[in-house]
Amino acid sequence: MKTRLLVVHLVAAALLLPAAPLLRAADACCHAPLAPAAPLPAASLYQAEADFTTDAGAGFRLAELRGRPVVLAMFFASCTYACPTTIGDILRIREKLPAGLRDEARVVMVTFDVERDTPAALRDFRESRALPEDWVLLHGSADSVRELAALLGVKFKREADGQFAHSNLVTILSREGEIVHQRAGLSGGLAEAAAALESAIGVEAGKP
Amino acid sequence: MSRLRCAFLRLPRLLLALIGAALAAGGAAPRGGEAMATIPAGVYRPVSRATTDPETVAVAAFRLDALPVTNAEFLAFVVAHPRWRRSRVSPLFADETYLRHWAGDTELGPLAPPDAPVVNVSWFAARAYARAEGRRLPLLAEWELAAAAGYATPRGRDEPDFNRDLYAWLARPTPDVLPAVSSARPNIHGARGLHGLVWEWVDDFDTAMVTGESRADAARDQNLFCGGAAAAASDPGDYAAFMRQALRSSLKARQGTASLGFRCAADLSPP
Repeated sequence: MKTRLLVVHLVAAALLLPAAPLLRAADACCHAPLAPAAPLPAASLYQAEADFTTDAGAGFRLAELRGRPVVLAMFFASCTYACPTTIGDILRIREKLPAGLRDEARVVMVTFDVERDTPAALRDFRESRALPEDWVLLHGSADSVRELAALLGVKFKREADGQFAHSNLVTILSREGEIVHQRAGLSGGLAEAAAALESAIGVEAGKP
Repeated sequence: MSRLRCAFLRLPRLLLALIGAALAAGGAAPRGGEAMATIPAGVYRPVSRATTDPETVAVAAFRLDALPVTNAEFLAFVVAHPRWRRSRVSPLFADETYLRHWAGDTELGPLAPPDAPVVNVSWFAARAYARAEGRRLPLLAEWELAAAAGYATPRGRDEPDFNRDLYAWLARPTPDVLPAVSSARPNIHGARGLHGLVWEWVDDFDTAMVTGESRADAARDQNLFCGGAAAAASDPGDYAAFMRQALRSSLKARQGTASLGFRCAADLSPP
């Protein structure tokens, strides 16, 4: 049995090795990494064509998140009421996970405030809030932000004083980008969100 | 089309060929000589707003399709963009209402006359169509500004026949087969059917911060919407505008209805 497994591995390695330099070359030439071969599930948000920019100034597409579960929230940096609470809640959801799983999910925050929350402003925001290095902070065009909001069911409106009225939703995405849970509001629901995230982590990549 | 051809008859053959090629490429084909209306700059006064919102919104001049998008035009779009066909569209972007009055994937059938406004389209599909045409959906304030215009003045509310037609339409149930878009009377800016045919998507339809049915909103959950609790009605006079507000707040972006269509808009001078 063991020898047969070894043979399978050797054959697989032999097949893959010649392809590896090609894959790397493709990576080097193009902005987006090669998409995994399997098609996205029908309900995957990663089909969206919206374009974003990280707070490091790099182009970013949601499909790049494929492979790990995601905790996703929309916010704006000058928000003084709901958004700091939401950030705190995301940290608490993470703390509710078993210690070994806490780094399995990625946190992604997308700003509504496309005018003021430039990538540089988001970088300042990350520093001033001491947000973890692996959190993804995204700026997008008004068009992209509106599309993502619609996909998530987030309603938002810019008010005269530059603040935004908005839904307070924390969304858990599967490794394939499907919405598996949404926590609405600012109170309660953390245990449920953590349970949904834990079960999303438990599902291996590429499996339904 | 024939009128267009007449106008260009005396131009050199090369130019004709170029125009033909451009039209065949499926770009922004002129629609009966009245492709887009120019809506002059104006002021939109929301019927319902948050206390922190301004009473009025200044709207820059823009261009708006003179007519809503028809079944025939949307058919050309799904033929050119197979991922938007009924059988192939992702459930992420359109639910089971999508084009359900059509006979098939690329077949209109008896409930969808080619010249009637297309309905049962999701917000995502309407946006994709507009993008493919190099245009966009109008913003809520833009649409409302254009739709406030009467037949003879920029303010339809002061025109008795405009109001009569508007409220007669609102009182009428949506017919199973919608009339041709050209049946609608143009407003002073040359836009037809903003009232009287179908409701229309706007790009920012989801700015209506209403949680659900109106009775539930009387005790709105402050935690669901940051700042949403401040929203309150300002002008109870414009009944039709309230109906549109209620409709928009009830819509989901994946969903279409049998009385909801769209038209495209563009900036006056493309950047």
